[in-house]
Amino acid sequence: MAKMCNLYDATKCSACRGCQVACKNWNQLPAVIEPFKGNYQTHEDTNAETYTIVKFFEYDDVFGVKWYFRKHQCMHCEYPACVEACPRKALYKNEWGAVLKDYQKCVGCQYCVYACPFEIPKYHKGHDIVTKCTMCAERVNEGGIPACAKTCPTGALKFGDRQELLAEARQRVKYLRANGFPNATIYGEHELGGLNNLYILGDVPEKYGLPSNPKVSSIVSAWQNVIQPWFGLLIPLALAGSAASFFTTRFLKAKREQQEGGVTHGTHN
Amino acid sequence: MELITKYEPDVERIERFSFSARFAHWGHTVTFLLLLFTGLVLFMDSRWDFLAFIFGGYRGAGLIHRIMAVFYTIIPIVCLVANWRGFVDWWKDVFNFGKNDIKFLLTFPLEFMGFHVNIPPQTKFNGGEKMNSVVTTTSCILIAISGYIMWFPQVFPTVLVRLAYPTHDIFMIIATTMVCMHGYLGSLHPGSGESIWGMWKGTVKSEWAEHHHKAWYDKQMESSQE
Repeated sequence: MAKMCNLYDATKCSACRGCQVACKNWNQLPAVIEPFKGNYQTHEDTNAETYTIVKFFEYDDVFGVKWYFRKHQCMHCEYPACVEACPRKALYKNEWGAVLKDYQKCVGCQYCVYACPFEIPKYHKGHDIVTKCTMCAERVNEGGIPACAKTCPTGALKFGDRQELLAEARQRVKYLRANGFPNATIYGEHELGGLNNLYILGDVPEKYGLPSNPKVSSIVSAWQNVIQPWFGLLIPLALAGSAASFFTTRFLKAKREQQEGGVTHGTHN
Repeated sequence: MELITKYEPDVERIERFSFSARFAHWGHTVTFLLLLFTGLVLFMDSRWDFLAFIFGGYRGAGLIHRIMAVFYTIIPIVCLVANWRGFVDWWKDVFNFGKNDIKFLLTFPLEFMGFHVNIPPQTKFNGGEKMNSVVTTTSCILIAISGYIMWFPQVFPTVLVRLAYPTHDIFMIIATTMVCMHGYLGSLHPGSGESIWGMWKGTVKSEWAEHHHKAWYDKQMESSQE
């Protein structure tokens, strides 16, 4: 199956937060009330019961205030660090590109939380698991589209074939650059080897709170590729050495005693 | 063929470890092993899930891991305060690392496999025990620090949290490797097996002490005659 993904156009988003509500609705997640902070940012970050939020960014400009919006959720990376870091192999990538989780296998260790370069997965204390956006895989598998894309009233969110959406995004960026958005760019085409969630941004990624060159921490890959599979062999090695010594010491001692004609050498050697 | 060197109360014995040193040692042993077996659930694959089930599932294992973590930190600190003198003596001896210790380490593989070798006179801790002291203590401190970072990740910067995971694992492996060797040498190994009584009852046979820790034994004899 071809890679499927969401294309989010920041220049079309009106920050109505319909996607946020639709996500809660479909995933049957309760409201998480955070204290009012005097701005539009009702939720600072995603949490275990909020898979997606709209982030608000304000910038002073010569023409007044620029107000940027960005839908924030799991990027469904092509090479996901969370999948690498998971010690129970609970996380996996499905055939059309969504990064999913088998909650039966999740033990709530939170390794993925700190491996993710976007800090998306969040720990659910009550259920002792880590949750995140599923790209509504169960809807897509049945021929539907994610709840957020379904509900978006402005057409900022579009779900479909990744290649087709990329072509569309390139057209849109070309148009935006010619029409007052000189810094317009596609985000997610090449980042981290490709994200399965594309953005059309009206400005540089930093202004939308995205790292322009995201990296999977080398610590995470070192842990998963070197330390966990190989370093642990030291323990069986030590046990094997001890087992070998258990027999050789006794064998050599018996031999020595035989040579000395049964005269024992005391308990020391 | 005996498994563990027999305890002989009737022969001449010499005191090796004080009560607080022994309490620290065994308290550390119990907490370390419980931490190891509850923690391995996350390190090994699902074939080792039975470890979690012994402790009442992942959550039970996690809870015991955290409770033990607290004792794991408290016991050494309490014993350190209670027996500051002994602690200082221990580390003075550990850092008194000389030619005889290097010689010991070089001949140790042979001794380990059971060949008869002449070891140069050793102080209270031989070259291997000195290495074990340094490696194990370093590992334990780093395991504890990284463990608390993993326990309260919100308090620490992300870089530290990311570093804490491999640190916790690497030093868990090093410490476990040392524990395997240390446990074997201190019990089933016929040469050094007597040392288990030094840690369990507090005393070892004088004859064994003279043979294995000549420098320490002579010093103890001198000071007792004074």
